[in-house]
Amino acid sequence: MSFAIETHEISRTFESYKKSEGLWNSVKGLWDRQVVYKVALKPTNLKIEAGQIVGLVGSNGAGKTTLLKLLSGLISPTTGEAKVLGFNPFERKTEFLKKISLLLGQKNQLWWDITPIDSYALLAKIYDLDETAARNKVKELSRLLHCEHVLETQLRRLSLGERMKMEIIGSLLHSPEVLYLDEPTIGLDIVAQEIIREFLNEYVKNRGPTVILTSHYMDDITKLADRLLLISKGALVYDGTVEGFVEKSENLQIVTYKFEGQPEQRSEITKTELNRFLNTISSKGQLESFKIEETDFEHVIHSFLQKESRLL
Amino acid sequence: MSFTAFCRRNLGFFKLAVASNLEYRLNFLIDSTVQPLVSSVVEMVLWMAIFKGAQAVEIAGFTQNYYLAYALWATFVARITVNWMYEFRMIEEIDTGSINGLLIRPMSYFEYYLSQLLGYKFITTIISFIFPVIFISLLELPTVWTRLPAALVLIFYYLIFVYGMSFCISSLAFFFNKVNSLTVTKNLALWLLTGELFPLDLMPENIKNFFLALPFSCGVYIPVGYITGRIDHSVLLHGFKTTTIGLIIVSVLGFFLWRKGVRSYAGTGA
Amino acid sequence: MLAPELKKTLIKYLVIYKAFIKASAIAEIEFRLNFIMRIFNDIIWYAAQIFTFEVLFRHTKLIGSWDIYQTRVFLGVLFIIDAFYMIFLQENLDKFSEKVRKGELDLLLTKPVNSQFMISFQRVSVSCFGNLMIAFGWFIHSLLQLQDVSWGRVLWIFLLIPCGFAILYSIRFAIAALSIILVRADNLQFVWYQLYRLGMRPDSIYLRWLQIIILTILPVGLIASVPARAILDPPEFWVYAWSILAAPLALILTSQFWKFALTKYQSASS
Repeated sequence: MSFAIETHEISRTFESYKKSEGLWNSVKGLWDRQVVYKVALKPTNLKIEAGQIVGLVGSNGAGKTTLLKLLSGLISPTTGEAKVLGFNPFERKTEFLKKISLLLGQKNQLWWDITPIDSYALLAKIYDLDETAARNKVKELSRLLHCEHVLETQLRRLSLGERMKMEIIGSLLHSPEVLYLDEPTIGLDIVAQEIIREFLNEYVKNRGPTVILTSHYMDDITKLADRLLLISKGALVYDGTVEGFVEKSENLQIVTYKFEGQPEQRSEITKTELNRFLNTISSKGQLESFKIEETDFEHVIHSFLQKESRLL
Repeated sequence: MSFTAFCRRNLGFFKLAVASNLEYRLNFLIDSTVQPLVSSVVEMVLWMAIFKGAQAVEIAGFTQNYYLAYALWATFVARITVNWMYEFRMIEEIDTGSINGLLIRPMSYFEYYLSQLLGYKFITTIISFIFPVIFISLLELPTVWTRLPAALVLIFYYLIFVYGMSFCISSLAFFFNKVNSLTVTKNLALWLLTGELFPLDLMPENIKNFFLALPFSCGVYIPVGYITGRIDHSVLLHGFKTTTIGLIIVSVLGFFLWRKGVRSYAGTGA
Repeated sequence: MLAPELKKTLIKYLVIYKAFIKASAIAEIEFRLNFIMRIFNDIIWYAAQIFTFEVLFRHTKLIGSWDIYQTRVFLGVLFIIDAFYMIFLQENLDKFSEKVRKGELDLLLTKPVNSQFMISFQRVSVSCFGNLMIAFGWFIHSLLQLQDVSWGRVLWIFLLIPCGFAILYSIRFAIAALSIILVRADNLQFVWYQLYRLGMRPDSIYLRWLQIIILTILPVGLIASVPARAILDPPEFWVYAWSILAAPLALILTSQFWKFALTKYQSASS
């Protein structure tokens, strides 16, 4: 089996300065600075097969972006190494860069003051693509994304959703073999999210690139990802299928109940506790309503992230 | 990497700069013409006052018209040979981490901004030089027109050196915050060193020689002195020489700063 | 005695201003390199001004109506006013159009404090206090070199420099406020530097009509030339009176203009 992405004990530590409050501490900072180390990613081993779509989930600051940056060669690892398509990412060889693409949902990568169509022409030159082929590709992708009508408007005049669609086209123009999507649907309305999700699903099915996707919207992950990586405080804590993760934690049930004359209450309990819980509750008083729900993936992840942030 | 691909994309960057600067027409016109026009008028008035105060026909062997021509050309040439906008943009790119978007492309950051700067300066030259050409002709001020092409070659050659300095300073943004203040320092120093304020030959001989030994005099004094007939070919050639030396120095320095900077670069928003 | 309402308002604004100073100082010290470079920059700027005139006076006895000694005093006055400008205004007014573009003005307008005050005085460049020392040093040094100083007349500057400063603020603020109306031409800002340059030269170098313009319609002549003339030239009381009258007038006009500009203000779109 060949792996598109492989890491061996890769980690990254960041350095920063500690700064206390107040004027005097600022003055002191002129000559005396306390260095603070923060481990963004603990040594991690990872193997991703070619054509696999991996959903990377974790709370803010858990290390998702650090991992993506390491794998795209933007930052160097503190320890360990990575191989992406057989290249060491940090060398940033031209052949490597031509095969990957990184989409940052929170940043513009196309040019602000020119039209997307001009941006694509420029990208075609940067990636040394055939011009007509590139033009046809833009046509095809924009048809799929329902956005042909904005191709000739300056980027800065477009809405957030349209801009994101433009960025997606830009990141796919050179048919990358490895695609990193960092929050591709962030801040978009539900319709736009749906269109983009549908599009990405269609695209990866047809073209088969290796994809790492991060998102705060679990719909993105459930719909697109074959495999789920859960990252917490710089360490991988789950690696497996989405279903597997839900099953593992499925013991959790949400119970909503209401006593007469009291406000509604909610509890989360495991299946094994269910019996005992029912007994105690029915002895407490007159129940007015009672509901048990199976948890879905979204919920499981949420409670996971919540627990994690409480621990922090 | 094939050479044609390299040329094609750099021509693309060149055009990108032309297009995106013309996009804000009004700003571009103010920047490239209104500002130097006002400023050259202020300088020319100063020279008239100096000649009036000196009650002389000539200063350092040249008549008032020579100084008016110098002042007029100098402000426009200085506008071309200084790099504010793209240097600030390069620094900001590194400060904010949006450089990430460029690093993952199969091209170098160096060529990306060099071609853009040249594109921007190219369009600025074409549009802004209309004014000194018209005024010199109307006021019949001394200018050797046949010398203009060679002077322009030196100006653009020097511009590559200017870009090299910008590249070094922006690389420092990997190590320090807010290096834009360095840009201000550098450009203020150049203001004096290039000869924008007055022809360098008005200074005492030894100071003048020191200034001429530096490449910065190619920013204003040498090309403008050359087209207005203050200096001859040998000084122009000397300018090419000093610029070449300067270019080598900033290239080496820039190469190391960049390599070290990228290595220690943490990437923001981890 | 002040009315209690007015006194309360005044104290409120003083308290706010104190907080501004402290916050600015912390922010500035945070960026070490910047802190040092700022001071360094201004030294270069002073040197360029002084150097230019020193070189020019090698070739003439008079520029305008002043000799080199008098011009040095003029530069001293200019440096002092400029140092005050650097400390209290520059950071704020240079960033003005950027603030408008980025929508920061929206935030300022929602605060229960006079918006003109907020946008003009939020930052204080603490590092530039060093400049003020240098400027005063140069001023006193050049005064001592002057042949016959009537020290009584030097006292005028305590009245005329604040007036010049108020006028400087008014013109700069008005141009900055223009960026609210002309959002598409925010480079117009930089034309300010060229206009300021008119005021950075002794006004006697200009032709009569230009002199009148820079004393009235575009009063950059009141900034440094008039205070310097109070020391150097025979007394012209009507000019002083005009300066003292023009300062509050200019301040009132700017606040009116600011109110007008705000009615034209369209909040930045996201």
